Amino acid sequence: MKDIIRVKSLLSTEIEEVLNQQIKKEAQSASIYLAMASWCDRNGFDNSADYFYKQSEEEREHQLKFFKYVLDMGGTAISPEVTNIKIEYNSFREVFEDALEQEVSVTESIKAIASRCYKEQDFVTLEFLNWFFKEQREEEYKARRALELFEVIGEEGTGRWEIDRHIPKISYSSEA
Amino acid sequence: MQVKEVVDNPKFTEVFTTARGAIYQSDSETCWYIDFAGKLARFDYRCLLKLKRAIDSIDIEQKLMDAKSPDMEIIFICACDDTYVLTLTQIIHFKELLQGTFVMLDLNQIINNRLYRTAV
Repeated sequence: MKDIIRVKSLLSTEIEEVLNQQIKKEAQSASIYLAMASWCDRNGFDNSADYFYKQSEEEREHQLKFFKYVLDMGGTAISPEVTNIKIEYNSFREVFEDALEQEVSVTESIKAIASRCYKEQDFVTLEFLNWFFKEQREEEYKARRALELFEVIGEEGTGRWEIDRHIPKISYSSEA
Repeated sequence: MQVKEVVDNPKFTEVFTTARGAIYQSDSETCWYIDFAGKLARFDYRCLLKLKRAIDSIDIEQKLMDAKSPDMEIIFICACDDTYVLTLTQIIHFKELLQGTFVMLDLNQIINNRLYRTAV
């Protein structure tokens, strides 16, 4: 009997499902960052708004990477519905705390997919995920550094203005 | 009750059978034929996956507990030729049939991998 399922798709149904969940997660991330950009813009933090616009675009690119991978491997990529995006924040600091939390949850989610791939011996998808692991190093580093600015500079006086000024300078350049 | 011409048709390979229905694979057409609820329906790869997803997503327990919920369910798969109108008991039987089928298809993949695809 022909193995039709394998001929049609490289991905197992389970892996396809978790990849589609990740597509949704990345789309949610992109929307959350856009909401953060909106909040920063409304409250006069122009540099941070630009930073979050850029982050939002990056998350969208990640989403498309997953999307195209699923399709290229013969699966069905599902365009996700994104709802319940928080639009108000209590403070400038809370925005960055949420941003870091968002990145941590993305890393953990990708780790969970990788562990599933090991279980199924799907080394092709595992190799595909490597790019994301490297990317998450940078994303978490940047989010953590941004939050550290609140400790280093302090929020008193012109502190928040100073923090906003330093946000675009955060970069990750490790070659490791 | 099974459709006679399918059982005897050499084009079809039986994938999984229960007392209530059967699923056959046609290698030449690269598709499956589902003999269930008194009809024979043809499903290609994408439609079969969509059908399984649709059946799996039905929360049978919730439907049994909810007095207002109807005992019938319409299974409509977009871009597929067939629609099923099933009672809850039929859904349970259909679920069993599809689960068994996918286990057999997985097993077939393992056999294909071991016998023909891998060098070691």
